[in-house]
Amino acid sequence: MILVNQDLFLPNFREVKVLSHKNTQETIDLKIVKKKGIKREGYQNKTGYMFISPFLIGLLGLTLFPILYSLYLSFTDFDLLGKADWIGLDNYVRMFTTDETFKKSLNVTLFYAGIAVPLRLIFALAVALALNKVVEMVGLYRTLLYLPSIVGGSIAVSIMWKQLFGNDGAVNAILESIGLTTYSWLGDPGLAIWTLIVLYGWQFGSSMLIFLAGLRNIPQTYYEASSVDGAGPIKQFFIITIPLLTPVILFNTIMQVIQGFMAFTPSFIITEGGPINSTLLYVLYMYRRAFEYFDMGYASAMAWFMLVIIAAFTALIFKSSSHWVHYESDD
Amino acid sequence: MKIKIKILFLFLFCTMLLILAACSDSDDKEKGNSNDESSKKEGDDEQVTLRMTWWGSQSRHDQTQEIIDLFEEENPDIKIDSEFTGWDGYFEKMAASAAGNNLPDIMQQNFGEYLNQYADKELLADLTPFIEDGLINLDGVSDTVIDSGIQEGKVLGIPTGTNALTVIYNKTLLDEAGVEVPDEDWTWDEHNQIANDVHNATGEYGTRHFDVDLVFEYYLREKGFKLFNEDGTDLGYEDDQLLTDYFTMVKKLIDEDISPGPDVIQQIQGIEDELVVHGKSPFDFRWSNQLGALAGAAEGQKLGMTMLPGEDITKGMYLKPAMLWSISENSEYKEEAARFIDFFLSTTKVYEIGGADRGVPIKQEIRDELSPSLNEVDQQVYDYIDLVTENSSPIDSNFPPESSEILSKLEEIDELVMYGEISPEEGAIQFREEAVSILGR
Repeated sequence: MILVNQDLFLPNFREVKVLSHKNTQETIDLKIVKKKGIKREGYQNKTGYMFISPFLIGLLGLTLFPILYSLYLSFTDFDLLGKADWIGLDNYVRMFTTDETFKKSLNVTLFYAGIAVPLRLIFALAVALALNKVVEMVGLYRTLLYLPSIVGGSIAVSIMWKQLFGNDGAVNAILESIGLTTYSWLGDPGLAIWTLIVLYGWQFGSSMLIFLAGLRNIPQTYYEASSVDGAGPIKQFFIITIPLLTPVILFNTIMQVIQGFMAFTPSFIITEGGPINSTLLYVLYMYRRAFEYFDMGYASAMAWFMLVIIAAFTALIFKSSSHWVHYESDD
Repeated sequence: MKIKIKILFLFLFCTMLLILAACSDSDDKEKGNSNDESSKKEGDDEQVTLRMTWWGSQSRHDQTQEIIDLFEEENPDIKIDSEFTGWDGYFEKMAASAAGNNLPDIMQQNFGEYLNQYADKELLADLTPFIEDGLINLDGVSDTVIDSGIQEGKVLGIPTGTNALTVIYNKTLLDEAGVEVPDEDWTWDEHNQIANDVHNATGEYGTRHFDVDLVFEYYLREKGFKLFNEDGTDLGYEDDQLLTDYFTMVKKLIDEDISPGPDVIQQIQGIEDELVVHGKSPFDFRWSNQLGALAGAAEGQKLGMTMLPGEDITKGMYLKPAMLWSISENSEYKEEAARFIDFFLSTTKVYEIGGADRGVPIKQEIRDELSPSLNEVDQQVYDYIDLVTENSSPIDSNFPPESSEILSKLEEIDELVMYGEISPEEGAIQFREEAVSILGR
């Protein structure tokens, strides 16, 4: 059973080799075509471009153009209703010198991502480890545990969270019934951000699936060999599981860091950035500047600064990866 | 393996089918609509389709749809496509439409910073010609009401009805506490005293935390100041002690547990959930047209309304257009749109359907015609607006386009003070700094 699943998840190495062999043959075929005539190749390219044109048009028109346009807007005072006048670096200067709310939102976001991302990764790994041991009905458990992530980013879960942690919500009702003190989870500036962090941690599904695939890919023989040498489960975890899982951990970390910085829905729906801006995530503040104060130029500048931050973090993680990520050698 | 793959394919196929079905459904609807329009156009060359937008609650959506049906019945050459949302998101959506030069023909507009902003960008049509040639008939409308829609000499909006700030009180709770219902002439000290008495007698809150953006402006007016100066370039008051006093008063109510703090207010979900509705607070400061919604939700609680407390109430109180009807500059059918506005203002049936939801009718004749048939709640609102009309000063319309940001700063600082993060003095100073910096941009 487990073997079959492994096949489903990742093709084993021999298959990959066969595939690459096929590829080289295709390139050979192409070379022959090239010799026969350039016209035909041009025609083939055209057909190819036509086939991917829906994607290309989408990419250029709906993604690339708006991205570049927002870069232009970040140097203007565009307010949605009027014309965009070039104001140079004013937006960026204002961001770093006078805007206290900007600094606050940046701090909140760093704190949020700094805690919520590791929390989610640890949670995801723990559940994946547990699932890896389950033999029966893996599919069912996997689906059930993945569900929160599918509905996770949505408005519905955020509204549910708001109800759960409200002053008269289920969490307080449970606390009260077992004789503990209740808290104003969303009304206390010190606590509100934690309810959002817990929500982020709870939506561990996609990371968990990837961890699970990674775990399945670790050859059972390593564990057998180490247990012959007398290694217990904990030791095995640290000398086999973790090192062999590091490429997957790297991937998950980067994806989650990006997601963590871009979180918006929870603070928009659950707390509206409050109380006293203690949950004002960066993207929420950006949204407010853009659509509540019609400060589109400034919001564009914020978006580009966000890009720089995420790029910097990603680069840092990549740079550090040579020290802690182990790749199995090909042969 | 093979079976699994087959199942997977089947699953993916079904998903695709569902997605396609969902997409094509909306396509069909659009097609259906356009077919509708084109067939009507073929049958009747005159027919014009207007786009109209408003914000509001579900009851307003239903009522407005009914009003539109009535209008279409009487004017078969005009068809109105309506788009409506709640207040949240309405102006975001309008801003996006404006950026695309695609504003609706008829748009519900808000007095204050929004009207000023739209005026500033010249997005709204001047209605003066339609008023002059009688297409929009404003006989029997007081000048102060018309003035509120005028910006830079142009009539950019016609008020849908009149509104005023009010204190909504819960008579049931006041009776239970053995406290007299306050009369129209009361001071802040009296308000605080009653709040204290109710809290001590019943254990409920004595008042609701004020929405600072509404109440502080009144507080300034009542003391002879304005929130913004004449040309909207600076705050309209010099002495930070005013805001300090206001914060100190409100903070004291919260510290003594007479008023709930912002953490309780934040949990209120919609108007049906308000404290005054459930007899948990005797007072609630808000707009007069909301009495209907509150009273509708209050079971077994009797609600009433009175003027805001203060030393010089007449100076503080003002009439505000509940909202305005505007026509966008990019509209191709301004004349038809003007006909709808006139219909709305001059038809008694419109206000029979809508009640006082969009404010009290601006035309005297319609008010007179309606008054015998009003229900108790609407009668209360009408009487209240009459009372305020006699005891008020003109509204301040000098709100700069940046005022929405300044007011949300004020709310932010109000929260900081109420949570005890900063003192009232610091809050007052910080507000001035922030406001000046936003205005000086």
